[in-house]
Formats: sequence, C-alpha cells, structure tokens
Amino acid sequence: MADEKEDVDSIVDDVMTSLGDEVSRDQVKKKLQTFLDYGVPLDQARQAVLKKFGAGSAPAGLTTKKLAEVQPGDRRLQVTGKIVAIEKWDVEVRGEQRTIFRGLIGDDTEVLPFTAWKDFGLQSGDVVTLKNAYANEWSGQARLNISEWTEVSPAEVSIQLAERTPQRFKVIDLRPGLSNVEVKGKVLSLEEREVTVDGDSKKVYTGLLGDPSGKIQYNAWHDFGLQENEVIQVSGAYTKSWRGTPQLVFDERATVKKLDEKIATEDIAQRPVSLYKVVEGGGGVDIIMEGSVIEIQSGSGLIERCPQCNRAIRDGICVIDGEVTGQPDLRIKAVVDDGTGAVTAILDREMTEQMMEKTMEDYRRLAREQGEEAVDREIQQRLMAHPIRVTGNALADDYGVTVIVRDATLIMPDIAAESQRLLEELEVTE
Amino acid sequence: MREPALRVFAGEYNEATHQVGGEGEKEPSYILTPLGAMVNRLFIVGVLTDVENVSAEGDMWRAHVSDPTGIYAVYAGQYQPEAAAFLAEADTPSYVAITGKARGYEPEPDVLFVSVRPEVIWEVDSQLRDYWILETSRHTRQRIEAVEEARRMNPPSRARLTEIGYPPALATGVVTALQAYPDVDLEHYRFLLREALSHFSAGKISTSQEIDEAEEAVLALVRDCEGDDGALWDEIVERGEEQKLERTLVEEALTSLMDKGLVYEPILGKLKTT
Repeated sequence: MADEKEDVDSIVDDVMTSLGDEVSRDQVKKKLQTFLDYGVPLDQARQAVLKKFGAGSAPAGLTTKKLAEVQPGDRRLQVTGKIVAIEKWDVEVRGEQRTIFRGLIGDDTEVLPFTAWKDFGLQSGDVVTLKNAYANEWSGQARLNISEWTEVSPAEVSIQLAERTPQRFKVIDLRPGLSNVEVKGKVLSLEEREVTVDGDSKKVYTGLLGDPSGKIQYNAWHDFGLQENEVIQVSGAYTKSWRGTPQLVFDERATVKKLDEKIATEDIAQRPVSLYKVVEGGGGVDIIMEGSVIEIQSGSGLIERCPQCNRAIRDGICVIDGEVTGQPDLRIKAVVDDGTGAVTAILDREMTEQMMEKTMEDYRRLAREQGEEAVDREIQQRLMAHPIRVTGNALADDYGVTVIVRDATLIMPDIAAESQRLLEELEVTE
Repeated sequence: MREPALRVFAGEYNEATHQVGGEGEKEPSYILTPLGAMVNRLFIVGVLTDVENVSAEGDMWRAHVSDPTGIYAVYAGQYQPEAAAFLAEADTPSYVAITGKARGYEPEPDVLFVSVRPEVIWEVDSQLRDYWILETSRHTRQRIEAVEEARRMNPPSRARLTEIGYPPALATGVVTALQAYPDVDLEHYRFLLREALSHFSAGKISTSQEIDEAEEAVLALVRDCEGDDGALWDEIVERGEEQKLERTLVEEALTSLMDKGLVYEPILGKLKTT
C-alpha cells in the first residue's frame, strides 16, 4: 500500500506529459485518486484517467528494456522476446475460476517467467513485442505480467536466447512449476523403462533422488549413465506435479555432473518437515512429518468396503456397484497439524492395529457389545491432541494434502527439560 | 486448502484488535494478533473453568478455557451440536482440547471481542495440556523473534522474512501487524512467555500420581507431629524436604488435604488431622 502512494505522484507526472497543458495537475490527481479509492489497480486507473482527458488509449510513456534490466515493480514496459515455454493453468482469483498462461520468455540477455492473464494465442517459439507489460516479484526474481491492457504483436527479429543461470534448490523446496532448476542429491533408486511418446519409443530413467532435506521422484529423458547411490548435480531441470507429488524432470538440454562425494543413507530426509512446506510444496515422497492430531475425521474406525471396487461404502450400498455385501475394514483419518499447516493422515488397517494395539477383530467384538461409538471413542481417546510422527507419501490435490501413512508413532518429549531449555534460551537472548 | 490451527496463548489472542481478509466470498478472514499470527483456526488445550447457558432458548453455551496467560471465550450453539452437547455435560474444572474457528465481534472501530467457535472438543489429560503449553511457547517465541527481525528491516519485507526461514503466512502476518500495531510491546509478550513456561516450576511437573503419593506422605507427617496442639506448618514443610518432597509439592498437598477435610487448621499456622 505504501508503494502505491509514492507511485501516485509519478503516475500523475507521467499522465501530465502525455496530456500537455490541457488539464491541471490537480484535476488529474483528483481523478486518479477517485479511481484508486474505488480499488482500481494503479495501472488501470492511469489508463482510465488518460482516456477521460482525451489522450486516447495509446499507452504513453513506455520504457523499452532488455529482459535482464526488468525489475520487480516496473510498469509500462516494452519488451521483445521469444516464448520459450507456455502452459495453461486454471486458477482461482478472488473466488473466480480463471484460465491463465504461465511460461518463460527470453531475449539475448535473460529468460524470465511470465504470466498472461488472458489467452493471447501465444505459442512456444513465437517472437513477440509486448507493449505495456508490468513486472512483479516471484520466487525472488522478476516476472513479467501480460494483462488485458498489454498489446501483443509479432516481431520480425531472430533471437539468440541467453543462457539462464539456474536457480539452486534443496530437494524439499522443489515444488511443481519451477524451471531451470539446479539440485544436488543422491540417486536412491533407478529404473529404466520404455515408453511411447508421439508414436516413438523412448527410454526414460526414473527413481528417487534425495538430499538431507528430502526425497523427490525424478524422470530423466536421456541416458546420463546414472548409477544408484552416486551423488549428482542436475542443472537445467524443471518440475511438475505427477500423481499428487512434485517430480523433477530433465532431458538432454540439462547437464548432469557426477560428484565425488558421498551422502550416507541415514543422512537423507531424516528430519521432520514443517507442514506448511509439505502443503505449499505440493506434497512429496516419503516425508517425515510431526504435528498434533486435532481432529479424527468421520469415516474412521470400522468401515465397510465394496468387494468389487474397494470403495468405502455406507449401509451396504456402493455408489458404483449398488447393493453389495461389504467387506469389513479398519482405518483412521486424522488431521495432523503443526500450527503452520495441516494434512490428513490415513492409517490403514495394519497401521491402525499397530497404533491402537488392538486387532480389527477386537474392535468388531467391541462394536457388537457396545456399539461402533465405543470404537470411535477409543481411537479419539488415544489420539486426540496427541503429538504424532508420521512417515509416508504426501499427495496434494485442490482440497489439500493426504498422507498415506507408512509409519506412525505417538511422540512425547521430556516437557520439563524442553521448557527449561526454552526458558534458558530466553534469558540468553535478552 | 485447509487453514492451519494456530497455537496462540489467550494472552496474545485476546489482545487482537484487527481482522484482515474476508473480503471476497471465498477469502478466509483472520484475527490478526499483535505478534502477527493470522488466526483463522486455532488449537487450544486448557482448563475448562465454567460453562453457562446464555440463550433463552437454551441452545447457546458459553465456556471459559484457561491457559497460563489468560482465558479464551468459547461459544457453541445449534450449529455445533456435538460441541454444545459436550459443554452441556462437561465437568469443571477439566482439561479440554479444542480445535475451533477464530471469531471476532467489532461493536465499534478498534474494539474487537475475540472468541472461539469449537469444531471439535475433547477431554484430555494434564500431560497433553503441558505439551500444548510447550508447543505454544515455541510458536510464540518464533513470532516475537520474527517481529524483532522485521523491525530491523527498513521497510519490513515479507520476502526477506521468508528468505531467513519464517513461514510465508507468518511473514505476511508480521509485516501486516507492524502496521496495525506500531507500538507493540515485545517485553510484555516475553513476560507472558516466561509466565507460561514457569508453569513447569523449576522444571518439575507434578503428575496426579505424584500428588497422591505426596498427600499420603504429608498426611502421615501431620499425624506424626500433631500431638495435642497440632503440627507447625513450617515443620511439616521441613520434614517433607527431608523426605525429598519439594516445598511446593508439600504445600500443594496440604492445601488439597484441607480441601478434602482430612486436615484442618485450628489456629493459623498449626495443622491437625480430623
């Protein structure tokens, strides 16, 4: 907000230059302020004022820049570049579904990410001039925005793309949608598969890559001669979402360096990850998480499954297969929350039996004797408000993150010792 | 996306006078605390101290839940049938865990009454309450530190805060809070934090079993020393210490024994068994 106030004066100056002496500065400023008071974004307000006072819609005062010179906060930019990549995204803006386009645009100085807020029919490989674009900050770098008020026209120039400096990430910080990534890790597993792409048969090398922060699925579309257990540095990879978790993808355009170092298996992804990272990172593979159980969701305890499709059913009716004889099963759906993020942890029958130290048969007996509420009560009594450590694959979708729990333990630190330590640290820092 | 349940002491939560967000239909709203916690949902474990039926129709319950720094106001009505049913039958005092939504009522600008609308409420034991105090202390300390860091920046920057490791939601909250509460007194919150942590006095937590044992031992001591005139309070405490019972524990046991009517004080400072 503070930025906006400073900008008003510079916009007024700018509008005045394109309008000449026909109107007074006060009039312009007042009109602009009115638009802003109505919550119209600065850029649009400026256009509206220009129109109002008759300067027409031609964007005035454009600054022509090379992409390397573009800074977050730049407005009224004119740039020329080549669309390197473009992808359609469905997003929710202020409660409204919108289709936008994200991608990369490059010239001979830099390659920058962009967002196009409507469909300009842009295609990978197009060379275009953008008039009246603006830039904001994304992941610590400038990102171009192509809005409704941007004029997009084809440009008749050839562009030699700049080499982009890859951005370095720890494995846990990799989230879907990144490009030109550099990451170092140990090849934890490796599998060679034959796939068909556009009718051609291709080899793909897949597995898990890990560092002390976490593990990620990778897909290499080129034979880099990868070996299990070696430590590699990949530059120029990108990430996408695959079956609810981030995936690292690299092909012949990327470089893979084999490093002469070792990462011990027991040093890989052994520490719990803050839940906001799991949620914002779009899930992940084999993650350790800690939090408190703050809710046991309905559908926990004794349930019945359809013998044909394995879906959980109610009252003997499967939504797909109709009336069936349900198969008994036991599970827990617990919301685990560490105060920064929340996931739904699913404990299957085996995990539930282990956690509760009772078998499904024990619970079926209990339900017959005292009703199913008695089972739910036992689960709640044991888990509610209790800190827990869960390990498993975290799968993200539009509704949140679900963890398929592979291992779960109730934890309890030495509260007295920990609080004493915290008190002592407080004394020290003051 | 599910909103996380923040850990915020009553002493911080109740100081909030600002709400943010909630403008679009789907945009969540938050109670913004002076330390920059943006609270949409919260998780509390504390002592349920009283429950009162506050509507004529009998379907709105107000409860108070106490933590070492203050008291949360909790309201449950017909749309929280399970929570309301729980409160209607709950014993006080008892330890409860609540996952709930943050609510703010603003009768006039700059006056905000905050409360909690429970989604889930459950009875727990004292260990889980103690764990919650520890965890909430950690979160509070992180917020105090984040506000300190942000104050050193000119201007306070969300991007810079996330760069040095603060969660994005906290970074946003802290930067917003510095504008909303320019005069926040961090010393007040450090004091509050020490208060909360000193709940575990001298690093000792008395479990109920320990207290039961102490009561038995102290009762025996009183019997031993009382004679005809009664036992001196100080003597009991001293003899207790000889038996490796902490002074606080002995005093707690004496108070409890008096409450139970097993020990009485015929004259001030002297104790007799009944």
